[in-house]
Amino acid sequence: MKVAATLSVNGFTYPVELDPGTNLLAAVRDVIGLTGSKEGCDDSECGACMMLLDGQPVNACSYLALQAQGSEITTVEGLADGDTLAPLQVAFLELGGVQCGFCTPGMLISATALLADNPSPTEDDVRIGLSGNLCRCTGYDGIVKAVLSVAGSA
Amino acid sequence: MATVEEPRTFIRPDGKEKVTGTGRYTADLVLTGELVAKFRYADHTHARITRIDVTKARALPGVLAVVTHEDVPDVLYGGLVKDRRLFARDTVRFEGDVIAAVAATTAAIAEQAAALIEVDYEPLPVVTDFEAALAGDATLVHPAWEGYDGAESLGRHHNTLGYTAIVKGDADAALASADVVVKGRYVTDPVQGVPIEPRAVIAQWQGDKVTVWTSTQVPYAARGGVAHVLQMPESHVRIIVPLLGGGFGAKCDFHFEGHVAALARAARRPVKLVFSRREEFFAVGHRREGMVIEFESGARSDGTLVARKARLVLDKGAYCGEGGFFSEMAAMHALGPYELENVNIQSSLVYSNNQPSSSIRAPTAPQVCWALEQHMDELASALGMDPIDLRRKTLIETGSVTATGQVLEQIAMKETLEKAVELIGYGQELPEDEAIGVAVGWWPCFAANSGAYVKLNPDGTGTIITGAQENGTGSVMAMPAYVAAELGMQPEDFSMLYQDTDAAPYDMGSCGSQTTFNSGRAVIAAACDLRDQLLDAAAEQLEASRDDLEFVSGSILVKGSPDKSVTIAELAGDGTFHGKGAGELPFAPEALAEGCVGQSGLEAFHAPQLIAHAVRIRVDRDTGVVRVLQVAAAHDCGTILNRMGADGQVYGGVVMGIGQALSERTQLDAEGRHLNAHLTDYKLVTASDAPQIDIAWIETDTLNAGPKGSKGVGEPPCVPTAGAVANAIAHVIGARVHQLPMTPERVWKAGQ
Repeated sequence: MKVAATLSVNGFTYPVELDPGTNLLAAVRDVIGLTGSKEGCDDSECGACMMLLDGQPVNACSYLALQAQGSEITTVEGLADGDTLAPLQVAFLELGGVQCGFCTPGMLISATALLADNPSPTEDDVRIGLSGNLCRCTGYDGIVKAVLSVAGSA
Repeated sequence: MATVEEPRTFIRPDGKEKVTGTGRYTADLVLTGELVAKFRYADHTHARITRIDVTKARALPGVLAVVTHEDVPDVLYGGLVKDRRLFARDTVRFEGDVIAAVAATTAAIAEQAAALIEVDYEPLPVVTDFEAALAGDATLVHPAWEGYDGAESLGRHHNTLGYTAIVKGDADAALASADVVVKGRYVTDPVQGVPIEPRAVIAQWQGDKVTVWTSTQVPYAARGGVAHVLQMPESHVRIIVPLLGGGFGAKCDFHFEGHVAALARAARRPVKLVFSRREEFFAVGHRREGMVIEFESGARSDGTLVARKARLVLDKGAYCGEGGFFSEMAAMHALGPYELENVNIQSSLVYSNNQPSSSIRAPTAPQVCWALEQHMDELASALGMDPIDLRRKTLIETGSVTATGQVLEQIAMKETLEKAVELIGYGQELPEDEAIGVAVGWWPCFAANSGAYVKLNPDGTGTIITGAQENGTGSVMAMPAYVAAELGMQPEDFSMLYQDTDAAPYDMGSCGSQTTFNSGRAVIAAACDLRDQLLDAAAEQLEASRDDLEFVSGSILVKGSPDKSVTIAELAGDGTFHGKGAGELPFAPEALAEGCVGQSGLEAFHAPQLIAHAVRIRVDRDTGVVRVLQVAAAHDCGTILNRMGADGQVYGGVVMGIGQALSERTQLDAEGRHLNAHLTDYKLVTASDAPQIDIAWIETDTLNAGPKGSKGVGEPPCVPTAGAVANAIAHVIGARVHQLPMTPERVWKAGQ
């Protein structure tokens, strides 16, 4: 039995009908059609599905979509300002933080939350803050450098 | 020989779509009317199938197709040995064998239908101990092995899929007269590739042609595979790869494209398969195999290596896949980059009822290197020599002759060792729970044909059409820069049409670190062809000799007469310029390989890449927990064409190597079933575990290298890391860890 609900994603409001058991990742990807957030494990292990709920990072694969009603949801598609990339997005590209790109959406979301919480993190702060996001390509080097470079310029 | 110092920055053309989330990976695509695919896997790891009944599954509302072996041609497929059916017919041989596939309107219905399929079995003895599978009376995993279509050179026999021996001189006699002899036995657990993107496949038929969107590293192999298993012309199969979310070898080889194409044909609808993380672990025919590795080496008191004997047993798992060459590859890594007077290496690749092993980044090398480099340190200890000094004495150099008779040209093995040792600060005073360990390794280039086009667009931009596959490394993304350099244009002036088998000539795909080596050569050749055509056209238009023309900033100028010029856009608007090329294959190295059997073309290493890693680690003796604090990675990969891309391979490869060293392992139960097919218990290195990594490139000028003197880059960085970590651990705890990975429990036990 589907339930009518309203989800607010990246500043737009979407009326949706969802099975109560639908997770937030499936609602955003399959019902709303924003596929930037990825499913890597469906078990909160890899972080590829990370979204912000009122600024707080959650693994969307393990969060019920209906519980997100009333919250402002931010996905990777909501990080740029129109055609202008966010400083983190530019830094990821310039410092080798992107290879296959599959972890990138979740990584950018976690990094955004990290910097909002701690605008001047140490390298250890960044590494610990991103340890819920798995990357198999970069060895994390470019990602950590990118986050630190943005923090330095803030 | 030069050391690359300065990073050259590089913004990947596919970067913006990746950071904005607008890029599409296979699982992101939706086709009108698409159905969901689910598989019914084997219920036993070794059993005879006596009955398959899909009646109830087909009757379930919402199910549009159920496919078994009865619905596809009865053909065997595989790499060097064709030993596998798309759907199991008489026998299941491992946990991930597919018995049936279901296409339904929802995932829940497809799963329910798969569970409704009735399968009866007669269980057979399960072969999980691959060393015991060598015995003459062992249960055969493939009783019909002799009837399979398989390469003659493999030396197949019973459960042995491949056997390689490398013999030089008389190792036994040399051991008997050696001043020092050291022996060791090492065992490794299986390891997975773990791309963060689980694989996905979508198939759609139009008439008698099928288009397959798939997360493969090897689109042309996938095309050939679909054509073979469905017995249709290869030209009727089109493979398109959307963005690929990593591969690491695990997405090499053809496999699930065939199942999904068969389902879509039966359902008369597009069908999509998306693997769960659990399936990505147990169902794929790719993992780094477990091995048993035994070494015995003898040396003179000055360190000269008079003999090396090795016995290697590799777990092939249930099927050949594309890993049929592994016995020879492992044997070459048992030689390692050393000068050896006498050699006897025996390497067996053995069937079992475990998951099939096939290529994972530098297949066979990290395991053998981990064992050999510990063995070399043990030899140094027995000789009373510093392990670095022993390597200085025994490593290969330009002009060395390998045990298979290959004369090595322009290599910087010893130079990479010196650089790694310098960067790590070898010899420094360290706390008693810290130590430095060093290991070296090598890896070949793979020369193969490729072809490419470069066409000019009327606005003066260009489009590169290549069969190369971008798996994330950036090797394809760097191609516009190579073409732009030939034509005096900017990388941004070029778009790319790639990862579509209908568009470009054949390419080997993203495997063997070969994209720049082969596909890059083809793209540059196509650019040079276009350049020649443009020079002819400009010479005519400007009434000048070709020799007086030069490309500058999107124009062709007459040297010394800056007013006489024509822009490439003007030329493009007047013509239909397109270059094509393949480039000339670099010459293959020669090896006499006398006394060697089981050859699959690897007895000489083409333009070998040389690697030295030095690590500094800390061991908690109370818990056995090892932390890697610092890594110095020095590589000879020839000329570095894209420093940022090459560095990215080392950062990622070293961290993968640390995972292999300390935490990554697939645990199997007594019947070969995965016990930890998820990322909580299969432990990858995280950002907070990853150490500082210092990188050095020693550039050599190898005659038979790839374009501009480049060699492969992607696979070598994960080869010696585990060996270096192992040697450092031994320095701290005063004992050897003989099992890989070196988990806290194993390290703690070894230290007791």
